[in-house]
Parts: sequence; C-alpha cells; structure tokens
Amino acid sequence: MLTEIIDVIISGMINGSVYALMAVGLTLIYGVSKAFNFAYGSFYSMGGYLAFLVFGFAFLHNYLIVFCLAAPILFFFGYIIEKLLVAPLRKRDDWEVKVMMITLGMALFLDNSFQVVFGARMKSLPSILEGSFEAGEFILSYQDVVIFILSISGILTFRWFLNNTRTGMSVRAVAQNPAGAQIVGIPKEFVFSATFAISTVMVGMGGILLAQKYFVTPDGGWDILVKSWVITAFGGMGSIKGSLYAAFIVGMLEAFVGWQFGMTWTLIALFAVLLTTLVIRPQGLMGKRG
Amino acid sequence: MEHKRTAIILAVIWSIVAILPLFFGSTNFIMHILIICLIWSVVASCWDLIMGFAGIFSFGQVAFFVIGAYSSAIISARAGIPPIFAVFMAGIISGLLGVLVGIPCLKLKGAYIALVTFAVHMILEPMLKGDIGRFIGTGGSRGILTIEPMNIFGYAFTNSHPIPYFYLILFVAVICSAIIWLVIRSHWGAAFLALKDAEDFATCLGVSAFKYKLMVFALTSFLTGMIGGFYAHYVGMLSTRMLGIDLFVTLMVILVIGGVGKFPGAVIGAFITVAINEMLSPLGSYRPIILGAMVVILVLLLPDGIIGLIQKLVAKREPMVSPLRNNQP
Amino acid sequence: MIKIQNLNSYYDDFHVLKNVSLEVEKGQIVVMLGPNGHGKSTFLKSVCGLVKKVTGSISYEGKDITGLGAEKTVNMGITYVAENRELFPDMTVLENLKLGAYSRSARPFEKENLEKVFSLFPRLKARQAQFASTMSGGEARMLAIARGLMSNARFLAMDEPSLGLQPNLRIEVARIIKEINSAGITVLLVEQNIPQITALADKLYVLEEGRISFEGSKDEALGNDHLKEIFLGM
Repeated sequence: MLTEIIDVIISGMINGSVYALMAVGLTLIYGVSKAFNFAYGSFYSMGGYLAFLVFGFAFLHNYLIVFCLAAPILFFFGYIIEKLLVAPLRKRDDWEVKVMMITLGMALFLDNSFQVVFGARMKSLPSILEGSFEAGEFILSYQDVVIFILSISGILTFRWFLNNTRTGMSVRAVAQNPAGAQIVGIPKEFVFSATFAISTVMVGMGGILLAQKYFVTPDGGWDILVKSWVITAFGGMGSIKGSLYAAFIVGMLEAFVGWQFGMTWTLIALFAVLLTTLVIRPQGLMGKRG
Repeated sequence: MEHKRTAIILAVIWSIVAILPLFFGSTNFIMHILIICLIWSVVASCWDLIMGFAGIFSFGQVAFFVIGAYSSAIISARAGIPPIFAVFMAGIISGLLGVLVGIPCLKLKGAYIALVTFAVHMILEPMLKGDIGRFIGTGGSRGILTIEPMNIFGYAFTNSHPIPYFYLILFVAVICSAIIWLVIRSHWGAAFLALKDAEDFATCLGVSAFKYKLMVFALTSFLTGMIGGFYAHYVGMLSTRMLGIDLFVTLMVILVIGGVGKFPGAVIGAFITVAINEMLSPLGSYRPIILGAMVVILVLLLPDGIIGLIQKLVAKREPMVSPLRNNQP
Repeated sequence: MIKIQNLNSYYDDFHVLKNVSLEVEKGQIVVMLGPNGHGKSTFLKSVCGLVKKVTGSISYEGKDITGLGAEKTVNMGITYVAENRELFPDMTVLENLKLGAYSRSARPFEKENLEKVFSLFPRLKARQAQFASTMSGGEARMLAIARGLMSNARFLAMDEPSLGLQPNLRIEVARIIKEINSAGITVLLVEQNIPQITALADKLYVLEEGRISFEGSKDEALGNDHLKEIFLGM
C-alpha cells in the first residue's frame, strides 16, 4: 500500500514536470499574443517522431544528438508556421477564431501526415538511461529521474531567459503591454514568432521525454493538447507560475484518480476540478482579471 | 435589406435542393449524401449562430449533436416512445445540457469558453463508453447497433427508399434555418452585433450579455440535439467514432467555406464540403491530409468564405451601396 | 531637425490628419496645442512610427522616415512618451527603465543613461525595485518620461505630459522638460493649453480638426483673437 502510494506520487511528479514544461509553452503563446494553438498536440507528436527518425540512423544513437537536432528543427518549424499562417490573420477583427481554425486544420494535416509517413502503429523510443534504483519493493527507474531533471531544468532555463536576457524581457514586455513594447522599439512581430517557436520547442521536447514512457502515435497529441490546455486554464492563462503549480496538481490528480478509479476517469476528474475552479475563480488560480 | 437578401438566398437554395430528387431520386447513394448534407447544414448553421454571430467560442457543437443522437435512440428504445417524439425530447435534453454548460461558461473569457465546451466534447467519449454510459444504454464501446427507424403515424421511413426521409429532413432544415434567420433578424441579432463591437458599451445600454448568450446556447444546442436525433433514426446505429476529429473538422470546413458569421453560408458550405469529401474519399488516408491543408489555405485566402467573396464582388460592382466595411449582415 | 510636410494620417479608415506641416529646429521646444480629439496624439504617433497609415513626408535629420516602424525610428533617436504612460505593470521600475534602452543604439549607453535618469528623478532611484503597477499617477508619469530618456533619445515626442497631474506636479514636469531640453534634447510636445508648459515653447502650433490653424511664437499667439476665443473663452 505505502509503496503503491509512493509510486503514484512519483509518477504524478514526473508527469507533472513534463506537463509543466508543455503548459508553460502554451500559456506563453497565449500570454504574449492571445493566440490559441490547436496544433500544439501535433507538435508534441512531431517531437516524438523526430526522435524516432534520428534513432533510425545507427550512428546517431544518442539522446544528446536527438536534442541538439530536434530543438533547432522545432524552433525553425514553429517560427515559419507563425510567420506564414498566424501572423497574416492578426490584422483581422475576428483573428482569434481564425487562428483556432487554421491551427485545427494544421493539426489534422500533421496528424494524418504522421500516419501516412510512419504508419498507425505506435513507435517506441529507447530509454534515455537504463537501470533503476531499488530499495525493497520500491523501484525508481533512472529514466524517470532523468526525465524529471531535464524538464525541470528546461523550465528553469526558460525562466532565467525571461528574467535575465534582453530578448526574454522583451517577451514579457509584449505580454504585459504590447503598445508599450512598441514604444520602446521592440519588434512585436518578431516576438510573436519567436515565442511561438519557443513554445514549439518546449512541447516537442516534452514529446521526446514522454515518448520513452508512452510511445509515439499519430493522434497521441490530442490528449496532451487537452491536458496542457486544462493546466493553463487552471493556473490562469498567461501566468507561468500558475501553470507550474497547476501542472503538478494535474499530474498528481491524474495519477491518483488513475490508480483508484481507472484511467478512463482521469479526464473526467480533471475537467470536474477545472470547472469547479473556474466557477469560483474565472481567471484561474493565478490569472489576472479582465 | 440585408435580412431580406438572406431570406431570398435561403429560398433559392431550398428550392433548388427540393427539386434535386427529380434528378438523383433513383440513386440511393446520392440521396443518402444529400440527407447527410442537410443534417450537417443544420449543425453548421447552429455553430455559426453561436460562434459567428454571438461571438461565443463554443467548440461543443459535435458533442451536443452526439448527445441528441444517443438520447433519441435510447429514449425510443427504452421508453418505447415513437421516434418523432423522442427526437424532440432529445432536443430538450441537449438544450438543457447546453444551458448547464452555458451558465458557468458565459462568465469566462473567450479561450476559456473554448476549453470548457471542448471539454464537454472530450469527456463525452469516456462517459458514453464507460459504466455510466452502459447503464443508460449507450452500449459501451460497441455503440448502439439497432435504432428504430423514424415513423410518423404509422408511416415508416426506410433507408432503402430515402426520398421520403429526404423531404422530412429538408422540412426540418427549412424550419431550423427559418428560426436562425428570425433570431438574426430579431433584436437578438442586433444585441449580438452590439455586444461584439463593444461589450462594455452594450451592457451599459442594458443589453444583458448573459441572458442573450444563454438563450443562444439553449437554442443552438436544442436544434443540434434534435437534428442529432433525426440522424440517429436515419442511420440506425451509433458509436463514439462520431466524436473523432474527422466530423469536427468537416463541420469547421463547412463554416470556413461558407464564411463565419455569414449565414446562410454554412448551408452552402455543407453541400460543397460533403461533395468535396466524397470526391476525396478514393484517396483514402490522404483525404484528411488534404482536408487539413484545405482549411489552412481557405482561412488564409478566403477568410470570409463564399458569402464574403460574393459580398466583395457585389461591393466592387456597386461601390456606392456599402461604404461601411464589415458591417454585414 | 524634423520636418513634416503635408502629413495625412488615417486611423482605420478615418482620416485624422489633413495636410499637416511642421518643423522643429534642433534644440527647440515646440508645443502643439489643440482641443481633445482633434488629432494631436495621432500626429505624435505618426511622427514616431506608431501609426503607419500615413501619406506625405516626415524627414528627420535629412533622412526620410515616413512609414518607418517604431523599432527603426527609436533606434534613430526618436522616442514617444505616451499620454497614458504605457508602462509594463508587472515589472519593476528598473526593468521598465532597462527596457527603455532596448534599441540597439541605446544599449551601449544604458549605464550612463541610467545614472542620468536617476539624478533627474531621485524618487525613481529610491523605488527601483518596486513594481510599476504600484506607483502613483505622478510617479508613473515620471517613469514614463525616464523610460523615454533611456532610449538615448535626441528627439522626444511627449504626449500631454501633465495630463491628470496636480498643479504642483505640473510645475515639476515643466522644470524637468526644461532640464531635458537644456541637456541638448529636442522636444516636441502636445498639450491642451497648460500655462506652465506653454511658457516653455520656442514655437507654437495649434491643431484643430486635423489641420494646423496657427503657427507662430508665443507673442503672436497672444495677439490672435481666434486662439483667445478657443482657449480662454474670451
């Protein structure tokens, strides 16, 4: 019983950490440009498939190489998508709906392209680190530890970037006051594209990390989209700190509900908690009103 | 003037549709496609009413459709109620659920509403497949395999003779589009335009955003649920596969092609989209890829859909008529 | 320093400025007066690249800058100080100031300018760790001006710098503008007739219904009956 509970807590913490990485990315795009990206889950799958591709070459059998190749590819991809598909819509009055529609179309396009290219069967990725720490009944795999460390350090790096670099500060500036940002000479369009690209990298990295545990499938991203979305809304859209807390709460909740009632109940439980939160606090845990 | 034009366009569309069986009546396959077109045109028009006119980012339209379909099938099977009444009860159930979702939703901001309504969609599948669903009679992951066909006062509609059912659905679609037209024409429509342009200002004038938005939630989910019931009794079986992304995107393509907030664009969009979908079906797994690419390209190139394109062409020919931009309809 | 000829600006499709011509010499303080809603803000924003739908010509130090975006004009030393301040609410005073030095040309002078700004506004130095959203109206106004100076501006376009301030603070703002100007920065500002500010002007313009209705010195303005009527109600 006790080891089971510890297992559940650990699993919640590890999933929570990766969720945090991905939810921060989603909340970032929303906070900076008020755009909502329906293809976010497809970018997650894309990360997994990129890693799968890299592992297809025998001489590249190394996660360091995977990350070093995937990050710039994802960044570039996200940047181009924003420039070509999202930016032209911004001039319109109803651009929010239009962005939702265009990203939904892109999600359908990407998911089915994955299916055609890689087939519907799930793909597995090798573990980042074999072996485990054992103490009696209690087992903690090194893979989980590495996943946790990597996602947390990813978030910390990002936080450092936001607070301490000029570009990071300009991202926050656009999020807080786009007009003010323009006055001091920040190129708003570039910041929009760059944040979209950064968020693509974050969710893609999440995809690579979680693929080791849950496989890669063409439509596996929807679950991630919904979870990241729930987390950002729960934490308050646009609030990075809120997303962080919410991610761990969601990770834990999911682990416990899944353990006690079965996996089919996790989504229902998540939405129940979210809805209750939103009824009491429409702006989420740490979001701003108005 | 604008409303009158909408009514004329609607009348023309429905008259053309009404004579289609003269040409295709002997081909059951085409009649089947036409019936599906009519059903999607109602769902998409409702979606347009709530999203395009009322400006509420509701992503629960497919969910309400499925709820209506399942409710009607279960009511007619379990309580032995004739399908024609079951369909109305399904509409009412859907409408009530719509109000239930609407109440917490309407206090939220745009993207949150999208999430909560999409959440209804997402949790519907585990609900229908799970223990609760099986208890109600959804048949779990197998779905409902036999649904009583529609019959009115002893006259049974069958799949092998689709023409009578076609006219029944056409009748329902005409009524639904008339209701939507009336809503847009009435002071609801004016209130929504005011709310979209300046919510704060409109609320100052005493336009109760909440009341109108809740009414539109109730109405669209009622109509969508009801047409879901008609769908169920027509196809004769249901599964949660309808909740997949495919139908969702098909409806979105209908809206994109027809033009968001450009009623009756959704009606035209439904016929075009279903036709395209059928033409693409030999392509197998490439079909959804092309559909996805189409959404992307159309949103960029044809942002106001076919109706928007026509309006632009008309405005170019008679530039004196509409000096104000984007104020249609 | 800046020369504007036949400027027309549009807000959405609304024609706001009609053939506005104006010239500011290096080192001057030029004040544009005019009633509310007659296009003063749009004018300043057009000059600073924040309203891009313009026709006519704006030249700055001999270079044509018509239609250039703010990210370019700020880099050339033109800075806009907004009427509603447009600060970054969830950042500290120091971070707001650092972002003022965002443009490439301002970066090398960040430290130097920060010292200058702190000596000009000792209050801001004391409150540098405080969030901008917690500042009082007067302090926020000072921060907005200070942030503008951080861009290493040579030309400062100020939009109603005394708006919403008490009389004693207005005098303070006027003193600061004078000090900024004596440090070699050219100032173009728009105001509704505030005596303390108008007194600083080397040249006056009046903008009514999107057109320049008066151009001249302060003395000329005082002798103009029409101006007396609109501003003093005489």
